Amino acid sequence: MLAEKYPERIKQIFAKYPDKRSAVMPLLYLAQEEYGWLTEEALREVAGLCDIDPTQARSIAGFYTMFAEKPKGKYWLQVCTDLPCALRGADQFFHELCEYLGVDPEHGGTTDDGLFTVEPVMCLAACDKAPVLQNNFHFHENLNIEHAKQLIEKWRAEAAAEEDKDDEAE
Amino acid sequence: MTETVKITIDGQDYHVPKGMNLVDAAKLHGIEIPTFCYHPKMSPAGMCRMCLVELGSVQKDRESGEVLVDENGEPLVRWFPTLQTACTQTVHDGMVVRTQTERVAEGRSSIVEFLLTSHPLDCPTCDKGGECGLQELTMEYGPGESKFRYEDKHHAEKHVPLGDLIILDRERCILCARCVRYCDELVGEPVLGFHNRGRDLVIETVSDPPFDTVFSGNTTDICPVGALTTADFRFGARPWEMDPVPTICPHCPVGCNLTADTRLSADFGGKRAIKRIMPRQNEAVNEIWICDKGRFGHHHSRAEGRLRQPLMRRDGELVPVSWDEALATVAEKLVQHGSKAFFAAGHSLANEDLWELRKLARQTSRRAKLGLCPATVSGAQAVQQAGVGVGTRLQDLGAGDALLVIASDLYEHAPLWWLQVKQAAERGATVVVANARPTKLDRYAAHTVRYRYGEAARVLHNFAAMALRNDKLDAELLSARVEGWDALEEELKGSRVPAEQKSAAEALLEAQNLVVLAGNDGMGFEQHAELMQAAANLLIVSGHVGRANNGLVAVWPGANTQGALDMGFTSEAVGEAWEKPPAMWVLAEADPLGEDARMAQAFDQADFVVVAAQFLTATARRADVVLPVQSFAEREGTFTNGMRRVQRFYVAQSPLEGTLPAWKAFARLTERVKDGPKPFVAAEQVMQEITEKLAPYAEMSYANLAHVEEQFPPIRRDDLYYGGTAYENTGGLGLQWRTDAESPRKRLSVRPVERSARRWEGLLAVPLRVLYDRALPFAASALMDGHVPAPYAELNAEDAAALGVAEGDRIALEAGAARVELTARVNGHAPQGVVLVPQHLGDVLIAAPETCVVQKIEE
Amino acid sequence: MNLIRGFATTIKHLLEEPVTVQYPEEERPVRERFKGRHVLKRYENGLERCIGCALCAAACPAGAIWVEAAENTDEERYSPGERYAKVYEINMLRCIFCGYCADACPTQAIVLEHEYRLSFTDRRDAIYTKAQLLEPPPSGAADTPQQTEPGQFTRAIPEMEDPR
Repeated sequence: MLAEKYPERIKQIFAKYPDKRSAVMPLLYLAQEEYGWLTEEALREVAGLCDIDPTQARSIAGFYTMFAEKPKGKYWLQVCTDLPCALRGADQFFHELCEYLGVDPEHGGTTDDGLFTVEPVMCLAACDKAPVLQNNFHFHENLNIEHAKQLIEKWRAEAAAEEDKDDEAE
Repeated sequence: MTETVKITIDGQDYHVPKGMNLVDAAKLHGIEIPTFCYHPKMSPAGMCRMCLVELGSVQKDRESGEVLVDENGEPLVRWFPTLQTACTQTVHDGMVVRTQTERVAEGRSSIVEFLLTSHPLDCPTCDKGGECGLQELTMEYGPGESKFRYEDKHHAEKHVPLGDLIILDRERCILCARCVRYCDELVGEPVLGFHNRGRDLVIETVSDPPFDTVFSGNTTDICPVGALTTADFRFGARPWEMDPVPTICPHCPVGCNLTADTRLSADFGGKRAIKRIMPRQNEAVNEIWICDKGRFGHHHSRAEGRLRQPLMRRDGELVPVSWDEALATVAEKLVQHGSKAFFAAGHSLANEDLWELRKLARQTSRRAKLGLCPATVSGAQAVQQAGVGVGTRLQDLGAGDALLVIASDLYEHAPLWWLQVKQAAERGATVVVANARPTKLDRYAAHTVRYRYGEAARVLHNFAAMALRNDKLDAELLSARVEGWDALEEELKGSRVPAEQKSAAEALLEAQNLVVLAGNDGMGFEQHAELMQAAANLLIVSGHVGRANNGLVAVWPGANTQGALDMGFTSEAVGEAWEKPPAMWVLAEADPLGEDARMAQAFDQADFVVVAAQFLTATARRADVVLPVQSFAEREGTFTNGMRRVQRFYVAQSPLEGTLPAWKAFARLTERVKDGPKPFVAAEQVMQEITEKLAPYAEMSYANLAHVEEQFPPIRRDDLYYGGTAYENTGGLGLQWRTDAESPRKRLSVRPVERSARRWEGLLAVPLRVLYDRALPFAASALMDGHVPAPYAELNAEDAAALGVAEGDRIALEAGAARVELTARVNGHAPQGVVLVPQHLGDVLIAAPETCVVQKIEE
Repeated sequence: MNLIRGFATTIKHLLEEPVTVQYPEEERPVRERFKGRHVLKRYENGLERCIGCALCAAACPAGAIWVEAAENTDEERYSPGERYAKVYEINMLRCIFCGYCADACPTQAIVLEHEYRLSFTDRRDAIYTKAQLLEPPPSGAADTPQQTEPGQFTRAIPEMEDPR
């Protein structure tokens, strides 16, 4: 339960806003941080905290692409395919990236090992640096597919190293 | 007079009320600005872009404020460079609008084209086909063909239940958000929302329970496409095939104006049946809304259980007999018992029925008593003196006005009034809610007053005392024509007012207009009489009587309790009959044995019981003769609502063979008792007689009741897109009868209410009325069955703990003559020492508060 | 002379084959576009084409058609989509065989075919019910109602041509 685990943080968040319902977005981030994605329970919890209806909370979570309504891979990759980015080849980049990771090239998806989730999103506010890839909210700009492949391999190695470490620890 | 501003639309000048929405202002003068998302009863959203117009304003000199003119002397207009949405504009002086230019036409055409890219072409199977805003505007403004590829058409789920009453078709939805805003703004239960965005945007609900408000059906009316349909009507008929018949809701004292859409039906033996119930506009009553009980509660009129021929007891069994035989037997018994016969009416009988029953009673004996069931109400005199003024519309109350809701859970007892009081609160009116238990309206109340059961009248007495103390008296009225003021003043001077009541009273007495909505929640008729008197006292001494938007609204339990009181039927008479049981009972749509366990003993010695009913009720099963009468759907008549508005309903459905309208049955009986008068042929003649003999009803001829005046906003003319599919009022707006306060020559009277509040020892069982119950006739609607809870009782947490009862436990409750088993609920609604027991969920219970014993049933 | 010409014509016609058809022993074939009694058609899988939209009834100038619709379920499916005709009746005494119903039908469910032997001894018999009007299911296909897979028949008009 968020309310029990983070009473202080929630209090601070509420303090920033004139009324409770305005705090819904930071609280959704908090829930996402806690549970990895916005489960139905998480949405109900946040709605309860903000004194709004769960449908309203979900409405907000559904509108913004930075809220995950489904479980995501360890690396959550978002590519903007809106018009300005597409003009710089972002859609082509997205298809190639999907193909490289072996997921649906139209809509993206999560890799079988659960490591990567790729999805097309609307506007990441970096049209001038397209194609742009956002990995867990961190930007990688002016990419081409070769560069992206290197990044992927780097993250893969990172993940493998972490796993080894965990194994050793056990 | 409201302030007006001058605007120019298509070169023509118009004066319109200041602050009005541009779409409404244009509509007011018959100019069409097409919309999908804008609705005259809701705030604008600017989502659909259909209302695009060219917009500008007259330029004025900044210093002098003079209008600048060009070389031809025409005013200079500064135009917006692009088309603007009219629905997001409120009118201002010098606004210039063009709605007929080519640019506007092109804009509208493009919007329609866009909307149709994701709209299926399934008009043939769509319930809205034929009364659809999108169809209408596509024909009018659409391009006729599309630049978009048909294969790229958007597909979505076609059957998404949003609850068990409303079904969403996501493919048809044009995302106008009318339903979302309706739930959020009007009902205050934001259970519908958008999810996702762009092309994937959909309406959904994840609330628990889902779309379950009692006002859910209205969304299907305001939906400009066929996206929302009711489970009740789905595919019932095409709109053009049905005949709309104006009628009145028989379920509660609001008296919502309805239209019954009827059609011949194979399921109903090829006869005319009601296919769906729709709201009918009456801005003074229900505006364009109705609750789900009214919308879906029409099935009883065709239910299996309806009585279809007279029954008579022979050898202990009720067996079918002819009308002739039944009437002859009853008439004979009436003559035999004479003054020992007692007559009682239910609260949903039409005025015509009540009148004929009264005539029958008088024909039987001059001293015949007229009873009203359920025997829990009183206060006819309070209403006659201090009832709301003629012309009262709750929707006119706002900032500076006040509403007091006492002893009523409006959401359960009169949903439409709940909706209107809530909206008044949101417009700035001061709402005070006084009740012994929390209710749903508390959320919108500026002040909440809690009293103990039995003390309701005391609260109003204290409010009147505050009027005296704060010098909020209407001295002129008091000195001119109020009797009994001295005695009351004496009493008021001595009362001690608790602090929370002081602030509430002050807020109420500050107001310009004050309406008191008084119910009978948790009281018997003795306490209700006191409460109504106290309400009349308060309103009279503070001068809030005799004019529109002031006075008393009685939240009666029945659709025509007011009419019954007007005709002289009283609960007090039933009380007397209980104490001194009559030899013969004549009951018209009254079910005392089904409502009050105590009543059984009053029937023990009865020699003869006659029941006129639609169903074989508990009382009908005890009867010696049962007369099958018709439901509201099958006959015409009038109801008088809680604001004393007499309203007409018409014949909608083919009557069941073998049944008669109650008035006709009584008239035929009257004829057989001591050579009574010949029966009338038509209900209209009965009303004619009422107008001649009952003073307040002098104006209520059928012709006057059918009178209709132009209402704003105009609903369902040639523009279904604007107000939705609620019906235009063609059946009559009805008439309110005038209170004494409105007749300057009539004297008013006040009197102190009982000083000592009624107290009970020990645990108190308090009956509760809930909207969805198993009372006939409503229970016969299978669709609503899932909404009626199993019999339960609400306990206070402390009492529950003391009794060792937890939520969900089975308990045995013994109160007076009632012994029942119920499921316990411990949810904080019951005050300490009180067990709330909803009526009409199962076994016969109590009709008024009674001390009780509760025991847990061990498994 | 005229007399001879007259007799010649008569004799010529005497020798010609008669055009009279010995109905009912013998039936005259009808033209392809002849408009006889209505038939309610089915799809190849046996589902009814009629979706109960009642546009035929709306188009009928004689008010001869009566339709009452109801909702399909996957357990009991009569036609594709959500709606089907629960009651479908045509009063053949009223019908003027104009074919407007067939023109109005969005699914080509109602067709005026070649049956013209319509005579009744009772006015009630002139009302053809759905059971009488509906053609038998194609060979190999099941009769309605059918049990179908959820999501298989969600649209009332399954294969629609580009309306442009």
